[in-house]
Amino acid sequence: MTSESTGLGMAMDALLIARLQFATTTSIHFLFVLVTLGLVTLLVYLQTAWAITRKPEYERLTRFWGTLYLINYALGIATGIVMEFQFGLNWSGLSRYVGNVFGAPLAMETLVAFFLESTFLGMWIFGWHRLRRGVHLALIWGVAITAYASAFWVLVANSWLQNPVGYRMENGVAHLTDFTALLTNPTLGMAFGHVVSAAVLTGGLLMAGISAYQLIRRTTDYALFRRSLRIGLITSALASSMVMGFGFAQFGAIGGVQPTKFGGDAERSAIVTEWTARFGPGDYTPPVWSTAALGFMILIGFALAWSWLLLPLLFRDWIIRLRFPLFLMLIAVPLPFVAAILGWLAREGGRQPWAVYGLLPVSDAVTPISAGVLLTSLIGFAVLLIALAVTNWTLLARRAHRGAHDLALGRSPQPGNGLDDHQPMHVLAG
Amino acid sequence: MEILWYALLGLFLAGYLVLGGYDYGVGLLLAASPGENPRRRALTALGPFFLGNEVWLVAAVGILFGAFPMLEGELLSGLYPAVAAALAGVILVTAAVQLRSRPSGAAARARWDGLIITGSALAALGWGAVLAGLLQGVPLHANGHVAGIGHLFTPFVAAGALTLVGLVAVHGAVFLTLRLPGGAGEHYARMGRRLVPVALVALASATVLGLLTDRVRETAQQPVAALLLPVLLAVALLAAGRALARRRAGLAFVASSAALALPVLLVAATTWPYALVSSVDPAAGLTVSEAAASTPTLRLLSWLLIPLIPALLGFQAMSWWVFRGRIDNRAPVYW
Repeated sequence: MTSESTGLGMAMDALLIARLQFATTTSIHFLFVLVTLGLVTLLVYLQTAWAITRKPEYERLTRFWGTLYLINYALGIATGIVMEFQFGLNWSGLSRYVGNVFGAPLAMETLVAFFLESTFLGMWIFGWHRLRRGVHLALIWGVAITAYASAFWVLVANSWLQNPVGYRMENGVAHLTDFTALLTNPTLGMAFGHVVSAAVLTGGLLMAGISAYQLIRRTTDYALFRRSLRIGLITSALASSMVMGFGFAQFGAIGGVQPTKFGGDAERSAIVTEWTARFGPGDYTPPVWSTAALGFMILIGFALAWSWLLLPLLFRDWIIRLRFPLFLMLIAVPLPFVAAILGWLAREGGRQPWAVYGLLPVSDAVTPISAGVLLTSLIGFAVLLIALAVTNWTLLARRAHRGAHDLALGRSPQPGNGLDDHQPMHVLAG
Repeated sequence: MEILWYALLGLFLAGYLVLGGYDYGVGLLLAASPGENPRRRALTALGPFFLGNEVWLVAAVGILFGAFPMLEGELLSGLYPAVAAALAGVILVTAAVQLRSRPSGAAARARWDGLIITGSALAALGWGAVLAGLLQGVPLHANGHVAGIGHLFTPFVAAGALTLVGLVAVHGAVFLTLRLPGGAGEHYARMGRRLVPVALVALASATVLGLLTDRVRETAQQPVAALLLPVLLAVALLAAGRALARRRAGLAFVASSAALALPVLLVAATTWPYALVSSVDPAAGLTVSEAAASTPTLRLLSWLLIPLIPALLGFQAMSWWVFRGRIDNRAPVYW
């Protein structure tokens, strides 16, 4: 497992480019995944409330927040497909040396989660007024459950990179010995709780922020946005505590298995000595920015926990009458996104220089291909994904600005849906 | 056990080409149907199936990674430019179909439609190049790595890429014939019949180029399959054209679906027992059993996933059943 013929300088460049591409794609993907997971949780609540109470307000809430969810989902799925291919394209060493173990949870993710999620979602979008209410409600539950399953399997795979367990090495290739060890990985449980509560926090704050924006503009849809403001704020407050609880609970487990990330000095130097003996001398210290990212993320976490202080203002709608809390919620919307990226930088940067901690260095995991090809790929996909991401957020912002009128999602079927050339088109709405 | 997983991989890849194939075909044909109403109609025909179609690719790559990790790394990185082009196309189509109707201005929608058309072309070209690249072998060396990307730029790969564009265009037209009512459906039936000869010419040129290329001939481990399956493909295309002429849209769809599934069978059967043939060192090629994950992994995947496959297919079938038939003026419009 050594760097090959291309020369060390060239190989380093290729490695840096491949890492930059992974960081770019993963970060963009994660920004959309957060909203997907967060909003689908709230959609389950809204549509279930509609099914139980039969109040039209909940139907409109489901349609409006569902529309925003779907705009966001378009990029979630597109970037998710890139993520899947990126392993094979740029990190073929991962498949070669550890694919027997690392591939299994990713196969689970695609088949039992991603595949079903999209199948259910297609039926949910077009099944309005066509399927029975119970079936239609079951579909959004199915979308949510498979979305959570997806997050779970991705984290099983990621946790294995952080702390490889349940395998044995034979001729330099890892073989699976104990799958349950992957599921009980100490780097998995709390991290899963942390990530999904971060997603719910993001979704809740997005809902509160957009509702606040509508109320600041003195929307005519007062009752509707008052309702979603309250749901969003309560969700954010609860989720902010869960994010912190799960977050801090990770330190002990991670310090034990990844001494160079969060461990004490003694463990750290012990493992560096061991690696130097096994892999030769090298720089085994994670970059400083990964620790800095962690610090900033924790600061944002504490800032968001202040949402508890806004809860008493829900009494008699003081939160709306005072107006300044509305502005607070609006400007807080980007914060969970920033915190989430910082969190990933801490988790993944802190693993360096390893692709699989203590087992496979990133330099052996990267595909031995010329830096030129990788650079073309990096620039091409980065430009494409960033352009799509910015456009997507513009569309989201416009829809949020226009409010809950004139929604294509869940419109009752009527003649004149534009499919007949002799009728005027009524479906210009988004 | 690896043969079972190889068959599943083939099933999901073929399923992707059949289902994603008509997505891209419909996307390409947007270029031939200017105007908001005809385009919206075509996308509404795609409607409930679109999201479920694209994820067959995701499932196929999941199986590739889980059950054939060695193949995954070398196949994708060995055909880098083709895979990257296909991937860019898939992203464009996936995002643009979902977003094109969110703005209400005609100009913005036309721009998104441009992306759908470009993306569909790229996806079809890219996957065509991947399949053709597999048929001419990759320079896989004894150290297990594929050298360079120049090997991909050959006339045979270009012809293979164009053939897949032709196939998806025919398939898209057949799908729209099946789904659209009245005059609109007949419009696409005529278009499909005109496209069949175009696809046949592309297929014939790819076949002839393949026969003339040493690398392709040497890669073919099973010459009978290599000759028989392109003929079957041509028969499927002709059958689709004939069924369109007789206004048997359902039959035409079966035939054009077969035409999209056959290339996967062609690649798998021609290169058998190899999954990836090396064009530089016959001994370096990866056979299906060498490419497979080790036994404990395959056993685990078999226990966990195979019982779920009927459920996966069942939910897809539910979606096809619920939204079967031609769309009418009460069909939900969203894309």
